[in-house]
Amino acid sequence: MTIEQKVPVTILTGFLGSGKTTLLNRILSEEHGKRIAVIENEYGEVGIDQGLVINADEEVFEMSNGCICCTVRGDLIRVLGNLMKRRDKFDYVLVETTGLADPGPVAQTFFMDDEIRNEFSLDGIVTLVDAAHIDQQLGRSDESSEQVAFADVLVLNKTDLVSDESLDILESRLRDMNRMARVVRSKQAEVPIDTVLNLSAFDLDQVLKRRPTFLEPEYPFEWTGVFSLEKGRYGLSLEEGPDPTMSLVVLEDQGIDEAALNAGAESCVRLYADSAELLHPGSTVPIEKHVSLQLQSNGRKSFFLELDNPTHIGLFTQHTAEEFDIKVSRVDTLITTTDSDGKNDALLQPETERTWVAEHEHDDEVGSIAIERIGDVDPEKLNKWLSRLLSEKGVDIFRTKGFISYVGESRRMVFQGVHMLFTAQPDKEWGHEPRHNQLVFIGRNLDENEMCREFDKCLV
Amino acid sequence: MPGVEGFSPKGMLHEGWSAEVEDYAIVCGWILGGNALLVGDVAGGLYLFEGKSGNPLWQKKEVHKGGLLALSIHPDGDIFATSGQDGRVLIWNSEEGESTNVIELGDGWVEHLRWSPDGRFLAVAFSRKVHVYGIDGHEHWESGEHPSTVSSIAWSKSNELASACYGRVTFFDVVRHEVNQKFEWQGSLVSMALSPDGDVVACGSQDNSVHFWRRSTNEDSEMTGYPGKPSQLSFDQTGTVLATGGSDVVTVWSFEGKGPEGTVPGQLSLHAESISSLAFSNQGMLLASGARDGSVLVWFLKSNGDGDPLGGAFAGELVSAIAWRPDDCALAAVNSKGGINVWNFKMRTKSSPKGF
Repeated sequence: MTIEQKVPVTILTGFLGSGKTTLLNRILSEEHGKRIAVIENEYGEVGIDQGLVINADEEVFEMSNGCICCTVRGDLIRVLGNLMKRRDKFDYVLVETTGLADPGPVAQTFFMDDEIRNEFSLDGIVTLVDAAHIDQQLGRSDESSEQVAFADVLVLNKTDLVSDESLDILESRLRDMNRMARVVRSKQAEVPIDTVLNLSAFDLDQVLKRRPTFLEPEYPFEWTGVFSLEKGRYGLSLEEGPDPTMSLVVLEDQGIDEAALNAGAESCVRLYADSAELLHPGSTVPIEKHVSLQLQSNGRKSFFLELDNPTHIGLFTQHTAEEFDIKVSRVDTLITTTDSDGKNDALLQPETERTWVAEHEHDDEVGSIAIERIGDVDPEKLNKWLSRLLSEKGVDIFRTKGFISYVGESRRMVFQGVHMLFTAQPDKEWGHEPRHNQLVFIGRNLDENEMCREFDKCLV
Repeated sequence: MPGVEGFSPKGMLHEGWSAEVEDYAIVCGWILGGNALLVGDVAGGLYLFEGKSGNPLWQKKEVHKGGLLALSIHPDGDIFATSGQDGRVLIWNSEEGESTNVIELGDGWVEHLRWSPDGRFLAVAFSRKVHVYGIDGHEHWESGEHPSTVSSIAWSKSNELASACYGRVTFFDVVRHEVNQKFEWQGSLVSMALSPDGDVVACGSQDNSVHFWRRSTNEDSEMTGYPGKPSQLSFDQTGTVLATGGSDVVTVWSFEGKGPEGTVPGQLSLHAESISSLAFSNQGMLLASGARDGSVLVWFLKSNGDGDPLGGAFAGELVSAIAWRPDDCALAAVNSKGGINVWNFKMRTKSSPKGF
């Protein structure tokens, strides 16, 4: 007997019409050299163009003990149990679930059944989202939000059917629900195959190697606009928006490529951490200072920027430019300061703009909670808290991922969980890296403040 | 497997013959009065070997497109049935290896087949239904839809068939077309064995337990504590003990007295990995067990469930099926690499005191 590589399995979920079969066919045609078995639960209008397709009805098996983490998918155990016997083993297995499938039992099957666990490894859960319809679906069904919550990759499909603005809003909503997932946009499920296959998403070691911090950073600002400006005086005007105040940091020499934007964002995080200087309309905005624009008065309000040299100005605003209809214009002549009728021909367009993942909360029941703390954790206290949390809230906690710094342990501990199933194992040495902790919980109706408080109690 | 060396048969197992088939051998059985061994592989190959020498008699390729799933040998040994992923059941003539009847069930897997003890009926599990056919392939009866895919079938009498699925065991009278008895329990039943007197139903469950029902009293009980799924179950011919897998130890429950409830089971431990197949001899208390590591052991069991090893051999790979020859003087084991081993089983005599 030789130790053989486990066969990777990718789960494709998503509502009917989200493009699962289209993606499946794309994978099969691009990976035609490989032996791929497809287990299909949903018999859609689109056929699958390949030899080994096994149709199976979804069979969710709950156990008499009532434990939700013991719930498995009987059809997968049956079919996979048979597939693994073939000498000409498969290179890959794809499971296409119905739009109504609960991804929990599907994932748990790969951890709970020892025969399946010995032969297969769950590579990742890919959820297709129909950009045109997901908003309604999320409101209407639990399955739809659970599929988003469980995903390692969210394919935002049919992007040609909606505007860019709606896509940005949708993407931000999805990211709020699931901050572990990677979001990929596509028109007809045309995504690079390597963004959906061979992810090793359940092998936390691998995930952390590729994305040392798997969290999408959350910034205290939502929008950045970079303007190329000459020496001179400029006006920054705002309409009434959702809040009576808005934080702002202005940076000089802001680059426009991705790396420069990220670097700018990081230095802004530090500035945002300083207390804000209140700034009333008509004031001049200082550079590299955290200011809070006071926008209580009615109508359009203006602030000023004074530039001694030509530069690229980066505006990092708490809310998006759209929400306050932020405009930048040249006002050297001092005549159009309060002109709001749009005739101002000195109105300037940003050279580039970017929206960031918002930190503030949305209304979805399903959401992500991220805990990031510097320092060491007492393993006993943490275990106690986590076991209590998972036994009380395990039904509502879909996935957990993270790493922890145990006091006295030279290696980083990696954590991974599906509902109440939870594993922790030592990973690489900390070495010179500053010890810190990062835990993400995705679930329904989770109390972020309480969880953070409880975690803080575990710190040494 | 590294670190484990093969060894020649020991104790009462003696060198017989070995052969190989092309893919993972999943089923085997003795036919033609024990004179020939039939082996099926997962790719749909069927092979017949002469029982004493191992000489190939005939072979067929890809009898079921997609793969073979089940085999059942008719009680008289002259015909047998196979089924597969192609949704078909074939009835074969043992001697010539010609299929005499084809039953088309449709698009799906046919995973379980059982001839009735009197040989009149062939029961077939297909998805959520069970069908009963005559030898001629003519359908006599079909069950209604079960709540999930049928996971096991067994005949309790010549006209009474039991089926197991998620959450339920049902006994059907296939002649009068009635449900005789039904047991419900929320759990995924993965295997089923009936005691020879028909009173006890034992089911292995996905949640690592064995569930019992007594038909006469409607009482049930559950044996927990298995580290794995007890998919392998075997009653001895008297119904005194039930051997179960679910770990690298064979766990044996005794039905003597008030047992097995409240008793400690026999634990037979010599295998290095999980049990993958179990078979009681046709007569007496001899149990053969095979494991994932390729080891095969024969045990002599006591009525309280304890037992001692009588012989052992190493088949090299996961033992997927074991079959005693009808006279119990030979044991066949097939494995996941397509290996077939037949050992002669000889009672110890005073003239050969070298034991195991």
